[in-house]
Amino acid sequence: MWHIAKRELYDNLNSLRFALTTVLLLGLMLTNALMHLQEHPAKIKKYRSSVADALNALRSRTDLYDIAQRGPGLLYKKPSALGFCAEGGDTLLPDAVGRNDTVWEDGELKSFWTMKYPSTTPDLKDIRSDITKVDWAFIIGSVLSLIALLFTFDSISGERERGTLRLIVANSIPRHTVLTGKFLGALISITIPFTLAVLMNLLVISMSSHIRLDAEAWGRLSIIIFLVLVYTCLFLALGLLVSARARQSAVSLVILLLTWIVFVVFMPSVLPSIVSGFSPAPMTADEFQERIVQLDRELLNKYDNRLWADETLKTKQVRSEYVTRDAEIQERLNEEHLTQQIDQVQRARTVSRVSPVTIFQHLLESFAGTGFGRHLQFVENAQRYARQFREFVVDTDRSDPESLHLIGVREGMSQKPVNPAAVPKFEDTLSLSKDFNAAAVDLLLLTLFVIVLLSGAYLAFVRVEV
Amino acid sequence: MITTLIGRELLNNLMTFRFAAALFITLLLVVANTVVLIKDYEQRLESYNASVKTHHQEIREKQTYSAGEVEVDRPPNPLSIFNVGLDKRLGNEIWISHNYVPTLWEARMNASDNPYLNILSSIDIVFIFEVVLSLMALLFAYDALAGEREQGTLRLVLTHPIRRGHILLAKYISAMLCLLVPLLLSLLFALILLTTTTSISLEADDFLRIGGIVLTSIAYLSVFYLIGLLISAVTQRTGTALMLAMFVWGALVLVYPNLILAAIRSSDIPQAKAVSTFNQIKQVWDEFDRERKQYLATDDFPGEDPTFNINGMGFFYEHFPEDPLTLLYFYYSMMTFGELDEKFEREVPHAQNYFRFLIPSTIKTAERAWLLRKQALEDTLVRKSNMKRTLLKLSPVGMYDAATQAWAGTDLKGVRDFFNAVRQYRQTVIDYLDSKNAFASRKWFAADEGAVDWSTLPAFSFKRSGIETNAKRALPDLLLLLTVNLLLFMIIFLIFIKSEV
Repeated sequence: MWHIAKRELYDNLNSLRFALTTVLLLGLMLTNALMHLQEHPAKIKKYRSSVADALNALRSRTDLYDIAQRGPGLLYKKPSALGFCAEGGDTLLPDAVGRNDTVWEDGELKSFWTMKYPSTTPDLKDIRSDITKVDWAFIIGSVLSLIALLFTFDSISGERERGTLRLIVANSIPRHTVLTGKFLGALISITIPFTLAVLMNLLVISMSSHIRLDAEAWGRLSIIIFLVLVYTCLFLALGLLVSARARQSAVSLVILLLTWIVFVVFMPSVLPSIVSGFSPAPMTADEFQERIVQLDRELLNKYDNRLWADETLKTKQVRSEYVTRDAEIQERLNEEHLTQQIDQVQRARTVSRVSPVTIFQHLLESFAGTGFGRHLQFVENAQRYARQFREFVVDTDRSDPESLHLIGVREGMSQKPVNPAAVPKFEDTLSLSKDFNAAAVDLLLLTLFVIVLLSGAYLAFVRVEV
Repeated sequence: MITTLIGRELLNNLMTFRFAAALFITLLLVVANTVVLIKDYEQRLESYNASVKTHHQEIREKQTYSAGEVEVDRPPNPLSIFNVGLDKRLGNEIWISHNYVPTLWEARMNASDNPYLNILSSIDIVFIFEVVLSLMALLFAYDALAGEREQGTLRLVLTHPIRRGHILLAKYISAMLCLLVPLLLSLLFALILLTTTTSISLEADDFLRIGGIVLTSIAYLSVFYLIGLLISAVTQRTGTALMLAMFVWGALVLVYPNLILAAIRSSDIPQAKAVSTFNQIKQVWDEFDRERKQYLATDDFPGEDPTFNINGMGFFYEHFPEDPLTLLYFYYSMMTFGELDEKFEREVPHAQNYFRFLIPSTIKTAERAWLLRKQALEDTLVRKSNMKRTLLKLSPVGMYDAATQAWAGTDLKGVRDFFNAVRQYRQTVIDYLDSKNAFASRKWFAADEGAVDWSTLPAFSFKRSGIETNAKRALPDLLLLLTVNLLLFMIIFLIFIKSEV
């Protein structure tokens, strides 16, 4: 077996395709690294300064009412250090949730801080042509998969054409050994230029003084590289399968290229659009605005005549209830809207998993800490923090015996100055175990694809007549 | 003789597996995509119509001239189904005011129902041709000469008294005829889908534009076929030819366009020229502000209050919005009151005099600032993006993309046509207000004597530029493609003539 693998390897190393692959991958990976060096420090800087601004604003307040009413402002998403692996449409996703504005003021009453999920529109000032990000997901998902097919399309059908297959099979080597040898030979000869390119990429990135990859990032990177190997195996297996079945290499290549187009070009871009088009749409932007206005009006109708009746404790209680209810309703509606939107996207993403390229893309996004899955995690983090923040307000108010415990009304809340350092602060974190859980299904699917294709290739080759 | 050759080649090509596969895959991709794209277009059209209605209603509810900010919408381009270009990427609503001259950089996107859908990628018809048909063309070409050489049939053919040029021509014509089948058939299906959709109304010009896209597609296809033929002519073995063809395809289609756009990124730091122009524009407005303050100081009314102490149900608002990146800076003010207390009656003539001075002065200053800004925007933002477009054209993909965008009218120039129309409309609105003597009227800021009647305001309408303009814009790239074709053919011819069999 090793003999066959070695022979394949030597064959490949001397071939034109090996040289071209090396040049192509090196060029792509270098661009990727340089782009990351250019973009990432700016992103980090922006994140740090906005987080610092938000924190300073929060810490500058000492009055509990002020703190609770204005809230922590916007909560920012931390950019991932591995953004170069998969960009994941991060520029199209919002980088903050929360709210910075006071929605309404009515005399002394003001709306309380709630979670809001602002949307981003793509950069409208950008008049450049369209860009696909040259990230690892593109380099490997599109380019390397094509190269894997080019390395295997003739490995069996080519030998058959030349007549050497008969020779090999006539030897006493079992057929599965031949297949494994060929598979390993192709895998190694693809891994060599890929490893070179990745090493150079990481070297350039880690040499920069602005970017520091920590232990966790390296761990994630090794998982990603493992995934790349699995993904490459998938396409090699596909190549061997078709190559074993096809009589001529030319036919094998045509079939493989078509399969590649369907999986890499067609499925990831058409299927999600079809599914999202036919799945229930979330409430429209106008409907959402109408709902907000309508709920506001209903609430106001309910409380209006009692709000400003007098200045007794009971009226103050009503005011407190009104403000709290308003915040609750606002937050619930915003969350409902977000859930509907997310559901639509999730359905589209689920269906697009029939393509291994999309699975690979999702996996890479999960482990690189970018993309939609990561955004959901960030939203969850922010929601947890919002609860924590409210608990803090209630607890602080409760610990003051002089307070009336009427949250939402200035004179009903604790008047004691709050220690700014005690206010909880939001820090967005990435958790590898959570990412792993989110990626488990994709991981299984990808492995399943590889196993099916490998056994398919085995069966096809064992039964082939020479 | 040449017809026999063409016939033979044609038969050879048509009976192959790759032809059937190419036909099937192109049809599948184009039809499935057209359905998706039509749905997307319908959605955009719907939100455009809703937005137009809202804006129409909004302006009619405005009680004073000062509050009347007209908003106009950009309709989606039905040909964006072929090449979406910048149609979905740039803003589609913009507010018109006498305070500033609008450009595409001030346009906003009307609210999307689900902004998260943006992360799902989508492709247009031209992209399918770009990727799939070019690959097909290479697959048809790689063994055209190398294969015959390997099989030894080339020697046989050449023993006959046939000119080598004729052999090449026969091969070229027959392969192109084969490649045209999937191209034209899939376009036909797309057109049937388009014309049967009721929400899309194509004009006569649109069919000519689509014709232009087809023509460009053929030229593009031919470039890739000739690249394949060139590779086939210089290599001895089909295996090598195939490898080379695949890598050339990968480099030209997948790698180069992304690489060049990624490598040359525009920094967000304004250039020195932009900074100096921005300061100039600021100076122009500062000068205006000084004059304004001087007027307020020297007019009959004591004090420098621009509201003339008028207050009540309504608001006054003034500030200088700015965006250094797009060189935007202007003075913006609004004063509008629904009811006016009688005690302010003495102040009203003063305010009227002030606005009679202020508004024409603002318009004049906006005009002056625009002259500066226009030039600087061309020099910085537009030129920069155009440079990238030019670099993209080193690959046939770039030429094809640019030419089809120009035909569809979704290129930068096509979108800017809309903003030119918007600027013209702004002038119309100003002229209209002037004809109503609105600037000096009481209704500029107060609605106590009745709200403004907006029904005579001329409506905004935008018509895409005519086919001649599209043709003029697409022609350079189309000619470039044809030149590349001719060059490649000549090179192949020379190589083939000189080659030994």
